[in-house]
Amino acid sequence: MISMSFINPLSDEGKEMVKQEGIDLERIFDENEQIINIVNSINSKEKAVNPIIPQSYFDLVIKRVEWYIERKNDPKNVKNKFDFLFHPDITKLDVIAFYILCQAIGIKFGSTSRESRAIAELHGEIIENRLKYLQETDKLEIIDKIMNDFIIQDRIKWTQLVDLLSSKKISLQSLVLKNGEVILDREDFIENFAHVIKNQRPERMYNVFIGKKIKELIMIKMIMQNTEDYIESVHERANIIEPNPKLLKIANEVSEVLSREIRYHGSFSGPGGAKASPLNHDLFPPCIKLALEGIKSGGRNEVIVLFLTPFLSYARLNPSVFSNNNTLKVSDVDPDLKITKNEILPMIYDAADKCSPPLFDDQPQEKININAKLGFGMHDDFSIQHEGETKWYTPMSCDKVKMNMPSLCKPDEVCKRLKEINPLFYYIDRKYR
Amino acid sequence: MLEPATREERRIYYKEEWDIKQVPDFIIDSVENREFGFDHFGKGPNDRYKVFNTPGRLKSFLKSKTPYAAYCSVAYYQKPRKRDGWIKSELVFDVDAKDIPVRTCGCDNVCEICLNEAKEIVSGLIDTLNDDLGLKNFHLVYSGRGYHIRFLDEDVMDINSDVRSQVLKYIVGADVPKEEYDDGNQKYNPPHFIIPFGYPKVFTERVKYAILHLTNESKLDDVNQKLLKDVLNNRNLLQRNQWGLFKTNIGPIRYKKVINAIASLNMGLVDAKVTIDLKRILRLPSSLHSKVSMKCTEVKNIEKFDPFKDAVPEFVWERK
Repeated sequence: MISMSFINPLSDEGKEMVKQEGIDLERIFDENEQIINIVNSINSKEKAVNPIIPQSYFDLVIKRVEWYIERKNDPKNVKNKFDFLFHPDITKLDVIAFYILCQAIGIKFGSTSRESRAIAELHGEIIENRLKYLQETDKLEIIDKIMNDFIIQDRIKWTQLVDLLSSKKISLQSLVLKNGEVILDREDFIENFAHVIKNQRPERMYNVFIGKKIKELIMIKMIMQNTEDYIESVHERANIIEPNPKLLKIANEVSEVLSREIRYHGSFSGPGGAKASPLNHDLFPPCIKLALEGIKSGGRNEVIVLFLTPFLSYARLNPSVFSNNNTLKVSDVDPDLKITKNEILPMIYDAADKCSPPLFDDQPQEKININAKLGFGMHDDFSIQHEGETKWYTPMSCDKVKMNMPSLCKPDEVCKRLKEINPLFYYIDRKYR
Repeated sequence: MLEPATREERRIYYKEEWDIKQVPDFIIDSVENREFGFDHFGKGPNDRYKVFNTPGRLKSFLKSKTPYAAYCSVAYYQKPRKRDGWIKSELVFDVDAKDIPVRTCGCDNVCEICLNEAKEIVSGLIDTLNDDLGLKNFHLVYSGRGYHIRFLDEDVMDINSDVRSQVLKYIVGADVPKEEYDDGNQKYNPPHFIIPFGYPKVFTERVKYAILHLTNESKLDDVNQKLLKDVLNNRNLLQRNQWGLFKTNIGPIRYKKVINAIASLNMGLVDAKVTIDLKRILRLPSSLHSKVSMKCTEVKNIEKFDPFKDAVPEFVWERK
């Protein structure tokens, strides 16, 4: 049977595991035979190719983070060598590594840091992948158990799921709601709706309408939130006690891994690949050049916010987004946001200023919408702590440009050769081919 | 009635009839955090970024300027003068009687019939917002030509435009519910009208309302005159909730066309721009809607509220 702490290390079972095993901070960096043996055994079961064998708890913590980074950069090739992270045999060791990681980040950075968000997201992705490898019955059983724990502790309101709704992972319409609460529990469903269901068995309706996928996503979201809360509680405690230097060392190392330069492996890679690099105005497609001159008639908002902002940000930071199918955030490429603040936003603001009338004169709220389209939520301030609240919009396709802003579409020979798919392809083609 | 107010009538209204006590508490309590805007010449609210640190200052301004229209932000700011330091925004739905997509009156502006229809729509939206979304802290305001539903539940005041737009689509029934479900063992294709909970239930209610209010002149995307006629001929079945029979009589493919058309029509029940704009300014309750000579009035009891009685300024009754 799969242990609950394999998915939720913050469960009572996970906490008990840590209590029993104990974390000896002095030996975190020491070679640990138990880790080596268990990972070796998993690798041979899974027939792993080029397997990684963490040597210590420190190593195990770092491997978790490396998996997260490598997966973003190179999703196709990462699975096999990190197989041990997804095998239930790793549970006990992994729970301890999880707590070490959260404590290190909590002590050094707190819950509003980029590191904290990354660790919560990392854990969310680990859960998602672990669930993928479980047998369907095991998966359903464990999701039910964990969700029951959450529901008993507290009812889940739709307003707690704003991140999931913003990211479009779930839609409000797919939730069954009653008085603001998301109905997930069978008993709750029957209590609330059995009396209105006609000609159907309420149990069957429950199975059909309270989707497994929704439960899974909500469970992951709740565990991610609890991870951030746990990091915050560690941070608060760290203010009153002296932080352990070994945990600080781990925190620095984790931060370093998270900041490693993003490597691109796109199919557009001519020599050197389509990497993040300074923008070259001369290579922009005609529509972008026109937009940069400012819009003199209607549709200023759409052009500046929906068209120009995604194009410039992706062209500068993640040009191979479509070929790599990756899910990077702005801060993955621009960790201190300097490029965005010093290069991208000024170009967008300049184009907004060239509009007639200047866009922000009568619609200053569009600055917030620009932040939102870069993935930084609906806020005045462009700040890392809001990243992920909205989605980083990908560049608009040529079809959409033709439909929504036809006056911008003046295709030249390159557009025609590239079959007018997306303005970003034009830029990559001219820059990298 | 519904004639524009003259400059002198505006002066009389603000000097003699209006009082700061008529501005609802939910605005007075946060007056220093809100942006105010004014239209002095009937050409739109171009005097914006106004701030009043006390209700008294707002009172003096209105009494001396007697504006054509007065507005205040749905947003709360740390620095409202610059619209800077956004704190939160009310969640707002604007139902304008003039813009309701299905009106039985056919009037050019607004009339008693379409204002009543706006009221019916508002009641349905509020029920969904209460029952499904659990939002309870709201103020209903008659705007002069329709209604503003303003929610101040803390849980929703910081949600972004994307999520606000999802809430809007949920309550108006802007998407046809998905047709295929899966319980793990088999696929299941229930029509929306047999699902008595969640979004499909809301959608069914909105479709019913729309069909019962269609007229011969209604225009629906991809629905020709023959189909419209068949819908009108069969709609009495919906009054008895005989959806299955209605669908059979119309024909399943044609039924799909009808509900697709109504889903896109439903988006027009509420002005989406208002809901998703976190920095919108809305007509100030108690202020004068000079274009139609009506008071923007907070509605305490929607059942009893009659705009032609409760929102008419005294100067209108005294007109010759």
